[in-house]
Amino acid sequence: MGNSAGFLLGLSTGVVCLAYCGPVLVPYLMGEAKSIYGNIGSVILFLIGRLVAYLMIGLLSGIIGSRLLQLSALKPVFMGIIYILLAIMLVIYGLYRFQEICLGRSRLLGKKSTSRRWSFWLPMAGGFATGMNLCPPFLLAITESIKTGEIAGSILFFFTFFLGTTVYFIPLPFIGFFRRQQALRIIGKFAAILAGIIYLYKGIIMII
Amino acid sequence: MKKPRVYATEGSIWKSILLTFPMILLILLFTAGGPPDLSTPEKSIAFLTTFFFLITLFFLILYTGKTDRYRAIGFVTLALFFALTFIVNLIKARGSMTFSQENLLACEIPFCHIVTTMIIIPAVITNSIIFPGSIIGGFASIASMLVIVIGVSLALGRGFCSWGCFYGGWDDGTSRLAHKPRIKKVNPVFRWFSFAVLLVIALISAMTLNPAYCDWLCPFKTVTEFEKVTSFSILMKTIVFLSLFVALVIILPVLTGKRFQCTTLCPMGALLSLTNKINAFDVRINKENCSSCEKCVKACPTLSLTAEDMTAGRPSITCMKCGKCIDACTKSAIHYHIKGTPNNKNYSWARNLFLYPAFLLLVVFLGGTMQSGIILLINLIKTGNLIY
Ligand code: SF4
Repeated sequence: MGNSAGFLLGLSTGVVCLAYCGPVLVPYLMGEAKSIYGNIGSVILFLIGRLVAYLMIGLLSGIIGSRLLQLSALKPVFMGIIYILLAIMLVIYGLYRFQEICLGRSRLLGKKSTSRRWSFWLPMAGGFATGMNLCPPFLLAITESIKTGEIAGSILFFFTFFLGTTVYFIPLPFIGFFRRQQALRIIGKFAAILAGIIYLYKGIIMII
Repeated sequence: MKKPRVYATEGSIWKSILLTFPMILLILLFTAGGPPDLSTPEKSIAFLTTFFFLITLFFLILYTGKTDRYRAIGFVTLALFFALTFIVNLIKARGSMTFSQENLLACEIPFCHIVTTMIIIPAVITNSIIFPGSIIGGFASIASMLVIVIGVSLALGRGFCSWGCFYGGWDDGTSRLAHKPRIKKVNPVFRWFSFAVLLVIALISAMTLNPAYCDWLCPFKTVTEFEKVTSFSILMKTIVFLSLFVALVIILPVLTGKRFQCTTLCPMGALLSLTNKINAFDVRINKENCSSCEKCVKACPTLSLTAEDMTAGRPSITCMKCGKCIDACTKSAIHYHIKGTPNNKNYSWARNLFLYPAFLLLVVFLGGTMQSGIILLINLIKTGNLIY
């Protein structure tokens, strides 16, 4: 199998990946109200988190091969935990400086909403958690990578799959065009909390 | 001090009759759809009542200069009659207000305009419509509803939410129940919440390929149809939408005097707000006349006016063009306006040009629904049974 297989799979299913990552990444980008360059940084960090998750899965599918898919009996519990972690992250992010940004205590308006350390780790952790999300294209990628039958091939497959899906993330930093709109920042915070509640419910339902 | 007359028709019977005349023809066209059907006493009563009701409302809007006061009567009537006729039709067709998995699989669920917000991204991704309704054929088909939504948003922007939506009359009505609201100040930041709902449900619907708002949040399932409770998950959904109905459609509107569901939850409202930008009509404040009394800010049921908006000379994009602020202003400083025209003159022109399409929208939705509802009520009185 050529290296293009993973890339093409990523390219053909990447919109679905974006749909899975959107509820986590878009509210964050809106809530931060950074410039386009700032958003490029956040999206790159998010993608690095995703890449780490993909490479880990690539490594695993290379090592344990088709037994990884047999573990899919554990999928609901695994996904449930991932969803709950995402939910906690989203709700914490949504509530962080909520009063200043959303309820008109406007001393800090115009300033960044998260500290430097957080704005480094938060998108990366979000990317990692969504990268672990066993969405349909990802499951397809696992099946295909197992077919390579070797660790290096499997990791390479996931790397090219990641590159293919990444194409769809290119427009996201342009949310920065609207950063002067305070309303977008408020909507981002609200959306993070709302998405967090939905993920929390989904996670709990998957586990019980 | 008496408010000076602003509109040419205000207080003038003849001018008001003259301008009502074209609307009479339109009402006749849209309520009868041809020669009126007076074949039975029930149908005659239903037609004549609806016809004169609508004419009277339009005439009063022109004659009194009060827009929202009479619009609201028609709008609330629409919500009540829509729920009545919808539920009775469902019970006739399916035997109950609930739908089952079989109805879902057979694509028998009527499509409502709110679903539009959830089908766009999945349609792009999968080339299919993620809603179990029929694509064409009938009033509640996906195609006809999309055409209505696009047409109305081009003509009126978010005006749809105050003149045509068959759900909006619920919280418009309840928000008027208390003469003086108990909670006087609501933070206007909550007007942005519906945009967050729009963003999240559009993305979650794309992720799950399932219309998330209909499935989980829509409070109006309480007065239309809902899924039969056959599992824990459906029970949870039922609890969620019932609680939202009680909280956002009844309790909070009564306590605050604001249209809470439309303002804070409805994703369709958020989407239509964006179309306010590309629409010819808006509401403007003439700062020369404004005394900053903020009566309009208090009156606005959608939190669309704040002190900052007044400084900017216009409400925020969430304005539903209901006219309540205009009715409340004693200085005639706030008015309907056509974009690109001067802000301080031609009040009558702008208002009349807005009123025709807006009221026509109400007529289109209310005309048939009210007649069917009246026939049902007459039968209820005659037979003691709504479902005959
Ligand atoms: S600003 Fe005026 S017209 Fe617009 S929603 Fe508020 S009260 Fe209605």
